[in-house]
Parts: sequence; C-alpha cells; structure tokens
Amino acid sequence: MAILEEPMKGIKKVKNYINGEWVDSSTKEYGDVWCPATGEKIGEVPFSTTADIDKAVQAAKEAYWEWRCTPPLTRARYLFKLKNLFEDAFEDIARTLVTEEGKTLDESRGEVRRMIENVEHATGVTTMMTGYNLEDIAQGIDCTAERQPIGVFGVIAPFNFPAMVPWWFLPYAVVCGNTYIVKPSEQVPMTQTRIFEAIDECGFPEGVINMVHGARDAVNGLLYHPDIKGISFVGQSATARYVYKACGETGKRAQSLGGAKNFVFVMPDAELDRSMPSLITSFYGCAGERCLSGSVLVPVGDVYKELKEKFVAAARALKVGNGLQEGIQMGPVVSKKHKEKVLGYIEKGIKEGAKLILDGRNIKVDGYPNGFFVGPTIFDEVDPNMSIAKEEIFGPVVSIVRAGNLEEGLTLLENSEYGNATCLYTTNGKTAREFKYRAVTSMMGINLGIAAPMSFFPFGGAKGSFFGDIKGHGREVFQFFTDTKVVIQRWT
Amino acid sequence: MSLTTFGAIMGFAAESSGKAEEIYKVLAQKARDATLKEVLQGLSQEEGKNHALMIKARRENVTEMILEPVTDLHQEDYEIDPKTADAADDAGLLKAAVTLEERGKRFFKDASSKVSLPEVGRIFRKMAQKKEANLSKLQGLGLSQTAGGRG
Repeated sequence: MAILEEPMKGIKKVKNYINGEWVDSSTKEYGDVWCPATGEKIGEVPFSTTADIDKAVQAAKEAYWEWRCTPPLTRARYLFKLKNLFEDAFEDIARTLVTEEGKTLDESRGEVRRMIENVEHATGVTTMMTGYNLEDIAQGIDCTAERQPIGVFGVIAPFNFPAMVPWWFLPYAVVCGNTYIVKPSEQVPMTQTRIFEAIDECGFPEGVINMVHGARDAVNGLLYHPDIKGISFVGQSATARYVYKACGETGKRAQSLGGAKNFVFVMPDAELDRSMPSLITSFYGCAGERCLSGSVLVPVGDVYKELKEKFVAAARALKVGNGLQEGIQMGPVVSKKHKEKVLGYIEKGIKEGAKLILDGRNIKVDGYPNGFFVGPTIFDEVDPNMSIAKEEIFGPVVSIVRAGNLEEGLTLLENSEYGNATCLYTTNGKTAREFKYRAVTSMMGINLGIAAPMSFFPFGGAKGSFFGDIKGHGREVFQFFTDTKVVIQRWT
Repeated sequence: MSLTTFGAIMGFAAESSGKAEEIYKVLAQKARDATLKEVLQGLSQEEGKNHALMIKARRENVTEMILEPVTDLHQEDYEIDPKTADAADDAGLLKAAVTLEERGKRFFKDASSKVSLPEVGRIFRKMAQKKEANLSKLQGLGLSQTAGGRG
C-alpha cells in the first residue's frame, strides 16, 4: 500500500497563539523539529521567553471575567462547534502527528479520537458542574455549595501524545469558565498548532485559549507566574515532582502525572493465543513510548516457556516502518536522542547480565536509513533489581521477570517506585479479584494490555507516577477547575 | 499484501468501495436493458455510501483495540480486477456485477471475524448481508448470462 501524502512540506516555523492571533515569539532561540521516520528536519519551534508567557497570561486574565460570566451552556456550544471542526480536520491532525511523533496512523487516529472524546465529555458541564444545597442547616438558615471557575490555568504537555494530552484538561477548564494556556512539547509542536487552527476557526473570544511553545523558560514562566491558578503536567516523574513542588511554593493547584514501569502478569490459566495480540500491543504500541505500555512481562508459574515462545514469535513478526504507511504496526521512537537513550538501556541490560533474546538495535527499515527506529527487543532472565526492570525506558524493550506465584508478582509491584498501571491475564475470577484488590497501581487491565481510561473516567497513577489528588479527565476533573463556594443564608 | 492493522483493513474496504462505485458507473452506462441499468446505477450509489461509511467507521471506532495486530487476511484475495469494467453486453455486465458482489460478500464476511471491535464487526456483517441480498437481486433479473441484453 502506498505511503500517504505527508501533510507538511518544507520547514515550518511554528508560532504562538495569543489573544486570538498567531504571533512570533520574542525569542531568538529556536529548536529543531524532526520527522522520526525519515530523520529529516521538518520545522523550527521557538523557545519562548517568560515575556511571551506573561503576554499569554495577561490575555487570558483579560478574557477571564467575560468568559466566566458566559452561561455554561453557551460555553459548551463552542465545544460542540469545535468537535465538528476536529472531525473535519481528523485525518490531517492524525497525519501531522505521525509525521512529527512517529507513531502509526492507527495509533494517531486513536489518539485524535480520544482527544475529541474529551471535548464531547466536557460538553456535559451543565450536569457536571452543579453544586448542592440543603435547607435548614439550622432553623431558617440554608446552605449552598456552588462551583465557580477560578481563573487562568495551563498545561505542560509531553511529546508522546501531542494531540490528546492537553485535551485531558483544556476542555474541562474552559467549559467551567476558566481561561487557558497550552505549552506543547518542544519536540512535537506541530500537531497542537494544527489543532489550534481549528480553535482559531471556532471563534472563541480572544484570550480564552492560548498556546505558547517553548522549553525550560516557558515551563518556569508558567510555574512561577503569580496569575496562573493551576497547572496540569504530564511527563517524566522527576519533572512531575519538580512541577508539583513549584506549584506548592506558588500556591497553585496541581495535577502532575509522571512516568511508569508497568508490569504485565500472565497466569498459567490465561488464554495465550487469544491474549497475544493485546499483549503485543501493550508492549510495542506507540513503540513503547506511553505511560501505559507494558514494560515488564511476568509469566507466573509454569506458563513461562510457552508464553516466551509465543511472545517472541509475535514480536519478531511485527512490521516496523514509517507510520504513514497503512499496515505498519510499529513506528520509530521520537528522536535520535531518545533512540540513543533506549539503546543505552539495552547495553545496560546486557552488562547487568540479562539475556538478550530478541535484539532490535540494528533494525533496518527499507527506504528509511536515517529514521530513529528501534526494533522489538526482549530480555529474558531479568532480575527485578536490574535497571531494565526498575527504570522507565520508554521504548520497545521488554524485560521478562519470572514469578513463582501471584504473591511474588504482587511483591514485584509493591517494590516498584512507580504505580501507574498493571495488567493481568487470567481465566480465573478469584485470581482477578485478588489482583484487583491488592495491586498498588491506579489503573489496571484484566485480560487487556493497555488500561487506558476513557474521558469519562480519571487518568493517573499512584506512588511515583502521580503527584496531586485530582487526576486527568473523568468526573473529578471538574473539581480541579472549580472552587466550591459555600454560601450560608438567613432571610427569616 | 497482508492486511495487518485495523487501519489497513478499513482503508482497503474504503478503497474497494470507491473502485466498485466507479466500475458500476461504467457498467451502468453500457447496459442496454433498462432494469439492469437501474440496478447497476443503484449499486454504484450504494458503493458510494459504503465508501463514506468505511471512512466514518475508521474515524469513529478507533480505540485501543484497533492497535492489536491482525493476521491471515490478505489484500490480494479480495482485489477488484480492473478488467471487470471491460464487460460489453448485458450478460457480461450482469456477470461482472455478480463477481463484484461476491467479492464484497467474501471480504466483509472474512474481515468481520478479524476486527476486534464488535461495532465494526457488526457493520461488516451487515455489509455481507447486503451483498447477499444484492446477489439475489442480480440473479433474479432473469437475464441469461450467455445471451445478449433485452434492449
């Protein structure tokens, strides 16, 4: 099947979107944007300054009061219109995403769909934002708890889901009456730029939704700006901790989603053939660059030999290539630097004594000699204390760690620094219940490999994978973007 | 070529519907029998709708499950032969239409068991049923596949 046309031609220099206008950053410093499949430079991104951030915050602050006074249903109508604009731009957004991030077309389409689902869920604001009340809390005294918007919020987004992640937060913030600033990852600024073209067309009042590109200065500009009321962050755990701490210092609300090391357990009673496609998807979907990816495969008991044989065969059969080609099952990793990081972990695994049984280091992809490809890789005989079993690799590298029984498996989870997601394959309800009851992660899959909550359920982990209390999307996120004002009244 | 992903299956389904739409247009133009012409025009319109349905289904039914690899489904087993449009007389046109509908029925039936999304599986099964109904309609036209058209 032919390669689909790439949506972008030539080098594109992206702009910020502030107060309803496309504007150049005040910076002189630009970063390069790469196509991971071809290894070619495709764009430049401004490393915006704190002055750029301040300009966006002032615009958002200026727009806030009028937007806050706009009825929720009217605010929701903007989202209905935006949803339709996104549907029209669906394929273009998906292909832009593939071009700069590297994932496959199916994965990109899935991501754009998830983005739109958040817009759809947020339109339920007239139900989700309501408060509660009680008459006669004392005789003749009534009490109401009302949800009110707060002000300017912002998101600092990661590279691996450039379309979806900002939309775990943005539509809810805005529909609740807040104004917003998006800071996309500097590695993948074009997808959100394409999305903002739809926002521009939608006709939101100026300043309600803004975007500022950049890196460290832009991040700190957001974190330490006194007029920003809250920050949502998704990225590595070390940065998530930093963001949470900075928000604490500056009195901001924060939901800070970090990294992961996800264990996938396969019980001896699991239906292996039926489970294999979802197991493979779990470990190699998005080239392993997702916080829900399986990373450690744990055969429990005597399923080890059969599982290993079937899993290696299925991994070996994966078609790796340019994600723009229909039928490709795994694309490259996002950058040359990230490829080197993943390769570094493979070297470390060998040095630490794990047995490399599928080596993806020297994969050759026809027609793409300069792409940032890493083939499916599997280590066997991995000790739980090895780096490859403990640290987040964020690539298509699987560590097989054996467990004698479920108890041993649960101990592996408890000892992990992370607590994002885990999965279990079994045909035994009692085992599943035990696992569900005791496993210390916040997202869990039973007989499926990617435990990705949809927009109407919360997304976020535990332990070192999450800092905060209210997670992304779901019902709870409406709380994050509103303050509960309690009004006690006596008129008698 | 193997259809190894959800997108590849949906893309092929959409592409095939588009091709069939065009072929039916050509066949309808050639038909001398008024009833056959009408049926072929109807099938062309139907394939146009099928094309739009496949694009919509691909866009709206993407979940994590679409990422699961697909095996044992090969494009070459279901390709439309461009020579199908070369038929000249009404019997040949009818035979071409039967070939197209049989191909479609086989593809949608086989693909329905390969996609892990129940909603898309349901759409495919419905499409296979529609093709079955079309085949009955074509076979009921009463045209001899060896004789010329009725004019």
